[in-house]
Amino acid sequence: MSITDDLMVASASLCKTTGLPNNKDYNHQIRNHITALRNLLSNKDLDSVARDDTLLNNFDPSQDSITYLFLLHLQIRAHREASGHDLPTDLLPSGKLWLKSEYFLRKFDPIQVRYAGHEWRQLVELVVQAAQASPRPFLAVALVRDAMLRLDPSCAVLTSTHLLLTHLSLCSKAYTCALPVLERQISHVPISTGRHFSPSLQILCAEHESSLNFLNEATGLSSKLLDRDYLRYFLYGGMIYLALKRWEKASHFFGTVISMPTVGSVSMIMVEAYKKWIMVGLLEKGKLCPPPNITAPHVVKSIQSIAKPYFNLAQAFESGDKNRLEAEVDAGQDVWRVDNNIGLVSQVLDEFARHSLMKTKKVFAALTVGELSAQTSLSNGKDDGITESKISSLIMSGAIDATLVHSQVCSNDSILRFTTASSTSPQCHEIEMQAQLQIQGRLLESLFGNMEEGNLRLGLSDEFIDNSIRGQPWAGAGAGEINPSLSGTADLEVEEDIMGDLA
Amino acid sequence: MELPPLSIEQLSKLAASNVFPSQLYGILSEYETDARLVAAGSGSPETGSADPELLSLFYATFFFAHLLTKQIPEARALTERMPASIRHQDPSLQNCLTLLRAIWQTEHAQVYQALRNLPWPESLQPLVRRYECFFQDQTLIAVSTSYEAIRLPTAAMYLGLDTAAAEQADPTIVQKFTDCGWKWDSETKLLHPVPIIVPSVESQPSNGIRDAMAMLGNRG
Repeated sequence: MSITDDLMVASASLCKTTGLPNNKDYNHQIRNHITALRNLLSNKDLDSVARDDTLLNNFDPSQDSITYLFLLHLQIRAHREASGHDLPTDLLPSGKLWLKSEYFLRKFDPIQVRYAGHEWRQLVELVVQAAQASPRPFLAVALVRDAMLRLDPSCAVLTSTHLLLTHLSLCSKAYTCALPVLERQISHVPISTGRHFSPSLQILCAEHESSLNFLNEATGLSSKLLDRDYLRYFLYGGMIYLALKRWEKASHFFGTVISMPTVGSVSMIMVEAYKKWIMVGLLEKGKLCPPPNITAPHVVKSIQSIAKPYFNLAQAFESGDKNRLEAEVDAGQDVWRVDNNIGLVSQVLDEFARHSLMKTKKVFAALTVGELSAQTSLSNGKDDGITESKISSLIMSGAIDATLVHSQVCSNDSILRFTTASSTSPQCHEIEMQAQLQIQGRLLESLFGNMEEGNLRLGLSDEFIDNSIRGQPWAGAGAGEINPSLSGTADLEVEEDIMGDLA
Repeated sequence: MELPPLSIEQLSKLAASNVFPSQLYGILSEYETDARLVAAGSGSPETGSADPELLSLFYATFFFAHLLTKQIPEARALTERMPASIRHQDPSLQNCLTLLRAIWQTEHAQVYQALRNLPWPESLQPLVRRYECFFQDQTLIAVSTSYEAIRLPTAAMYLGLDTAAAEQADPTIVQKFTDCGWKWDSETKLLHPVPIIVPSVESQPSNGIRDAMAMLGNRG
């Protein structure tokens, strides 16, 4: 019997057990299968297998995910060795190995790959590298996104693949591609699993309430995440929302970066996020928004001093003085260019017109376009026609609640009337509210579920258990030397006697 | 569902079809990977190697799918994703950029001019016409809620009608607005729009709110 036949038999026997109700059996079989595969593939005499282009056609990635994945890696390794390159031509987009990898990532069985996490992640990373090297990063965006959603539809655990996806999405300017993942609430970050979570003891194929049980460093489905990786994910996410002009979401992501707990020095990623946070605050709310309340005071102090030009720009914006704002924009040209924020700054300048119009609303209920032209910087007081055109654009886009009333003679007699209520009907308003409530309801539902899981995790963490032991005198006594002042057994007996008196 | 291979025939069929804009957008999103491969001269056997005509039609069609689903920032991102070799040379894609600029700057007259006067390829015409109607409808709704009274030439400009005829209070132009329920004051020569509220597909909002509240209450 050939090696291929052996593999097909082994894989087929595994497929037959997929439907077994007893997870333990399947868990056991799949682990044995992986051990056997590793032994088989560690054999040095597999050249013919590794170079057989038709080999993978014998396996179905949706049924034989593990076997397919291991063989694919074997072939990639062989091509690497033969070509002397980390990314052989066959692995680049449209190459034979690329097509096999793509096919696998679209079809794999999400349960089986929990047991081959390292290999799954390595394949995803290779695909990303190949797409970037080609250089067509776009080709990997949808592929990686769909693979992530296939592996864990909730995407509630932040993994290294999240970071890859957002980075790829920014590189390829395929912003909307990342949204199905970005819009899922991150509820967990993979923790260093302590003594209570040995992956070899876990039944990975079981139905888990939280994907944190298998999406962690121990299973290999995520690589180790550093502090800066968390920050980068939320920074990239915010930048994606910025590109799509979804200010509220962008603000949420940048706020998460700024308020990330930190003890020592402040990361430049936080400073970067704060600069964008200021700009988004001006674009969304027309004001300089303070950092989120939970931001550490030393962080606030540091980021504000480093982002001083942005701070000054925001203050000039708030002052309502267009000349001052333009002076700040000119003075900071080099800063905006180095920070790649020129586009944002120019949008802030455009936003100033709407902001000055909103300020007028606080004083006047209605005024003519001619008067408005003198009051605001909409057309620099030159042409009432331009002013009216800008006002109508703002009203029609829904940026301000107002109406225009033409008179019969000439344009500068047009009147702008501010309205307080939205022009939509009560029914539309109610429907909008209903949709919002449903979205928020679903979010809360997911949050509650994840909070329970978080509580459980916290309760079982090494730190919590160690602290609990320290806080319990009798346990300390049992352990021996934790708290010497309470180590005497006589003291404990006295305590129990007191309770006995109450009985 | 497996899509047919990306081809000029398939794109022409999609452009001429009446599928919902969101469906059109979804289908074309699926094809973008194929288009990138074609751009690199490594398409599938069906699509062959780099094919500027196919790429031009794909990106222009996809661009209009973005416009029809009101995804303007995304449409801008798409123009940046187009292969540089065709973006700067292909007349259809240059037209797309001109149109995008006009939409971005809310220059209504320029939008109609781009849609009507620029040379769009034959297979894209159905989508160009479809977007023109869509843009006109959206503008009519926006004008109806933004103006209490509006001069006829201004209203005509917004809807891409003949402004010279509107200056003369042409009855056919007036009728286009009065057909929408707007009032025409022949003495002041002003139109008085009636706000157009687009009904939602949801029929029983109150039940929905009760359901949502009940869902929140259950977690207490």
